[in-house]
Amino acid sequence: MNRGLKGLESKVLDQGQCAACGACLSLCPYLRSWKGRTVKLHDCDLSEGRCFSFCPRTEVDLDALHRSLFGKGYEDIETGPMRRVVMARALAQEFKKNAQNGGVVSALIDLALEDGVIQAAILTERDAELLPQGRIVKSREEVLSCSGSSYVTGYTLEALNRGPWQDEERIGVVGLPCQVLALARMKASALEKRTPIDRVDLVVGLFCTWALDYRPFTGFLKERFGDKPIQKLDITPPPERLLNVTVGNEFHQIPLDEIRAFIRPSCQVCLDMTSELSDISVGTVEGEEGWNTVIVRTARGEDLLRRAESKGVLETRGYPDDKWAHLKEASILKKQRGLNALNDVQEKYVTLPQRVIDAIMKEVAP
Amino acid sequence: MGNEAIARGALEAGVKVCAAYPGNPSSEIIGSLSSAADALDLHVEWSVNEKVAMEVVAAASFAGLRGLCSMKQNGLNVAADFLLNLNLSGTQAGLVVVVADDPGGISSTNEEDSRIFAKIGDLPLLEPATFQEAKDMTRWAFSLSEDLGLPVMIRSVTRVSHARGNVRLDALPRPATKARFDISRPRLAFPPFPNHKALHQKLERAKSIIERSPYNFYRGPEKPELLLMTSGSGWMYSLEAVMNLGVQDRVGLLKLSATWPLPDTLVLKHLKQAEAILFVEEVDPFLENNVKELFAQHCMDLGLKRFYGKASGTIPSAGEISPEIVSSALQSLLKVSDTKRPEQYAKRAREAAAELVPARALGFCAGCPHRATYWAIKKALTLDGREGFVLGDIGCYGLGMGPSGFFQMKTIHAMGSGAGLAAGFGQLERFGLSQPVLAVCGDSTFYHAAMPALVNARYNGSNFVLLLLDNSATAMTGFQPHPGTGRTATGKEAPVLDLKVICEALGAKVEVTDPFDLAAATDAMLKFLQDKEGVKVLILRRECALVRSKKQKKLYRVEVNQERCLGEMCGCNRLCTRVFKCPGLYWDRATGKAGIDEAICTGCGVCAEICPASAIRKEVA
Repeated sequence: MNRGLKGLESKVLDQGQCAACGACLSLCPYLRSWKGRTVKLHDCDLSEGRCFSFCPRTEVDLDALHRSLFGKGYEDIETGPMRRVVMARALAQEFKKNAQNGGVVSALIDLALEDGVIQAAILTERDAELLPQGRIVKSREEVLSCSGSSYVTGYTLEALNRGPWQDEERIGVVGLPCQVLALARMKASALEKRTPIDRVDLVVGLFCTWALDYRPFTGFLKERFGDKPIQKLDITPPPERLLNVTVGNEFHQIPLDEIRAFIRPSCQVCLDMTSELSDISVGTVEGEEGWNTVIVRTARGEDLLRRAESKGVLETRGYPDDKWAHLKEASILKKQRGLNALNDVQEKYVTLPQRVIDAIMKEVAP
Repeated sequence: MGNEAIARGALEAGVKVCAAYPGNPSSEIIGSLSSAADALDLHVEWSVNEKVAMEVVAAASFAGLRGLCSMKQNGLNVAADFLLNLNLSGTQAGLVVVVADDPGGISSTNEEDSRIFAKIGDLPLLEPATFQEAKDMTRWAFSLSEDLGLPVMIRSVTRVSHARGNVRLDALPRPATKARFDISRPRLAFPPFPNHKALHQKLERAKSIIERSPYNFYRGPEKPELLLMTSGSGWMYSLEAVMNLGVQDRVGLLKLSATWPLPDTLVLKHLKQAEAILFVEEVDPFLENNVKELFAQHCMDLGLKRFYGKASGTIPSAGEISPEIVSSALQSLLKVSDTKRPEQYAKRAREAAAELVPARALGFCAGCPHRATYWAIKKALTLDGREGFVLGDIGCYGLGMGPSGFFQMKTIHAMGSGAGLAAGFGQLERFGLSQPVLAVCGDSTFYHAAMPALVNARYNGSNFVLLLLDNSATAMTGFQPHPGTGRTATGKEAPVLDLKVICEALGAKVEVTDPFDLAAATDAMLKFLQDKEGVKVLILRRECALVRSKKQKKLYRVEVNQERCLGEMCGCNRLCTRVFKCPGLYWDRATGKAGIDEAICTGCGVCAEICPASAIRKEVA
């Protein structure tokens, strides 16, 4: 089996399973992103390549990956490895303004930069046409310009590969579960890397249930709203299930069911709601708009959170049991959906040992 | 060279006006006449196309001056409408039309036998068989033309036009004719019917003249076992084959100087003496069919015959003929074998040659701007992602249909057909065509034939992108000048007909870019690809590498940093030598690195732009 561009093409790109994470971009002249599509510019005949090795959808053995990164296999089947979970919110106003909910991600990255834990961070920014791309940030201003959620996946990791990077720079990355999975693949890859993955000292993962495919979604918006600029996009939490769009200074709401048609196909086979391979994961809190859920996974994650708490950057609280139960349930449900979807397809984009699959499928959902 | 002999023949006839459009294998005719133009006081021009060239020369004829126009087989197609009216209006001073066919299509998009036009047009057709005949028959053709008041067609082929041989020259006259168009004798094709009848009578007169021509001859026994009829290049091949096989006493060789009109009496005389007839000629069974028609007319007097040639499969019906082909035909018909060169030898010789000469694709020169253009096209179309395609045309850039142009060009037909097809495809969006339409067209091609297609596209509202490749030359045929280059055939200064101005005047959206600036060229293409309104013209302007290299030294000195070169590693995988494939780059298997072949590299610097490792350095030379 070809484990280079030919394999990537036939097993992922041609199947429409690209997660648009950007891990395969800026490694070579053969792959490019263009307006939300991953495009192969020329044929490459290498039997083995980094594009295939880094991709989060090329037969990823999750159990082996966990083992290589955390020293133990895929055991914490509900929400991944966890040291502690808290509710948190940023205290400084500027982090809360544009951010989603508690502004925790922006605050943590800003702190990591300020304290020299990292010298640069890779975030995601959107241009006027909502096209997301990776951005290397080094200042608070830049951090803030990338805040807010998008719901459209972007080629964030391309910025990591592209750089340029200075001699001693250490890097932090904020990413969706698929992007965090790609970072894990990069770390674990046996190929000569020639990409700055070894500089990445901090991975902040985001929660994600699904993301939208740029082209079809923006096509839909254009059809609905013409050329008026989209100012804000967010989703009302359950039970409402609405997409809120502020466009041309008008506020509109669209039922989520209409938007589901634009979910990226690769989200259907995703088994990760909480970015289980990160140092620290951040998401919403059910029913609490101004707060974030923070799951600490590694020592690095723990250091950063403690630093944030002791410096008064974040306010944290214990996590309510009922909300934790609901979170785990949502996470398991996504895994079950993903495993069912994987059952129905030829390619094994992501794999787990059968006993783990059985354990997940056995988890009872009311 | 055969073409030079033809030119000399025209000069010896006192030709005064010569015009042509470059086309292989005819280009050297006007090429060499242009070098004599000043000394001998001739008007020699490269016209924008063959129809105009023929009209220019016809004007000379009407004004009492001898004129010659030359072209390749496709050129006659372009000029045909005029020629098939000129035959009816008649000519005054001698007018000779030289058509040099390209059997096998070695340097053409098609293989075509132009002789049929003589039959359609009821015109005399001469086929020189040697270099001496090329000169002498051309000279004679002018007198014949004046005698009949008709243009005379001379058909040459690659091996007569381009091969070289000894030619005895004759004196050059100094005609002192004053140009004057006798307005009491209008030159009208109309009315066709009586003029057509009159034309047939002229042809009958031509027949009797040709019957007496010293360029027809017969060599062989009175009653040959096999009568071999041939014309043009077939003569030398047949002579060689007959002599090699030693069958001079069995085969009668009848060489015809003219294959239209057929010298009936001569042909019938020899037909009577043989039962088996073999026809040897290039491309179509023109002579073969005409003789068969004649035979049918007289068959009651001639008895049964066996005809061999293209219809019987004895001579291949497509592709160039050669002495070997004639020899094979004779061997099979006469049941002899070639003792001088056994078949095994030929096979072994071919195999040995194949080892020394690697197979090569037709490709662009090192530093050719077209390689950069097609690279940008490929990138733009791939990123655009809507299965856009390129309609092609004739010129060096026509090689875009092959690996050198990354297989971007999807059609190729006649001069200007790219823009013409685009004008058609650009109308099909209403029927569901969702693919972007592009056409490539050279600078010379534009003046030749693409302009009317562009007018049509504007007028009828077609939507496409025309990529005008301006390399400041009619490159493929030998860098002849054209209306955009500022020089005439004789080196005089000429006004420049600016392509941008013309396209803007036609109302197209026009931009100019440099193909060597890959990013700018790709961006310009992408921008035009998104534009759904009307005709967009992107002029990609960069001088032909060979033209430039004759004028100045290299732009850049280019070299590959061996440490930085990634070679076959992931991250490059030999982009420059495996995908881009400029012949100035080579791949060293021993070191696993790319390198610059200094003898071939023309220093354009484009490879430095595409190297992903920035390993290729370019320094201003």
